[in-house]
Amino acid sequence: MTALTASAVSVGDTVTPLSRTVSQAQINAYADASGDHNPIHVDEAFALSVGLPSTIAHGLLEMGIVADAIAAWAGGSANVQSLSCRFSKPLRAGDTIICTGTVVAVDDGVATLEVGASSDRGDRVLTNGRATVRLTP
Amino acid sequence: MPDQSHVGRRYSAPGQRVAPEAARAVASAIAGSDPIREPDVVPPTYAAVYCLGPTLALLFNDPEVGIDLAGLIHGDQSFEWPEPVHPGDIVDASAEITSIDIKRGMTFVRLAMEAVRPADNAVVCRATSLMILRTAAA
Repeated sequence: MTALTASAVSVGDTVTPLSRTVSQAQINAYADASGDHNPIHVDEAFALSVGLPSTIAHGLLEMGIVADAIAAWAGGSANVQSLSCRFSKPLRAGDTIICTGTVVAVDDGVATLEVGASSDRGDRVLTNGRATVRLTP
Repeated sequence: MPDQSHVGRRYSAPGQRVAPEAARAVASAIAGSDPIREPDVVPPTYAAVYCLGPTLALLFNDPEVGIDLAGLIHGDQSFEWPEPVHPGDIVDASAEITSIDIKRGMTFVRLAMEAVRPADNAVVCRATSLMILRTAAA
């Protein structure tokens, strides 16, 4: 895949929003693949016992989905230089995450985007999100 | 419990192999019921496995710091990928506790991590993580 050309990117451009329903099976698969078996993600009785409404997705799984959305816009994940965010609210198992991004600066062959994610119940699950994407001249 | 005296502690996890099948498993878990977009590419957030996982495991098992996993929340995360990492690469991961703050009955542990590929000395990932412990020392 090829990177976006700098002349084709402007402040205000948006990433195609990416929605993905995150099932418990998907969370379990991420726990196995990542090695993070914290029971708040995979054990409902435990999650309830620590005051959560249900099991919740790994923040890094949510971030991976955001990275997918940015990579699709950027012409491949090799063009994604950085990504950061705050895990503001938990994403419950079975909820749909909706990832968004907007270009806020284009400088020296790099686009900076504000990124974020919400759940279909209206929670802003990822906030203070930033990504940088490499552009071709 | 973690306290200020632990700032500056370092954890080293050399020789992490970016196994193609393990990277694919993470890509698949991120994709869920969607197809994997780039099947032969290491997903950027696979840094969770070659950089965060092995160094955090050392922190979590450090008896002198004594982190209680039951009260642990991942507060924020940043990644920077100066050079792409490829399937089959071997990287050396390390982490340092850069700050510990106790406020509102919670302990905020900030870490900085790095993964370097010794074959060409390239930094393939720099990361910071905020871990929040809901049970602070009295």
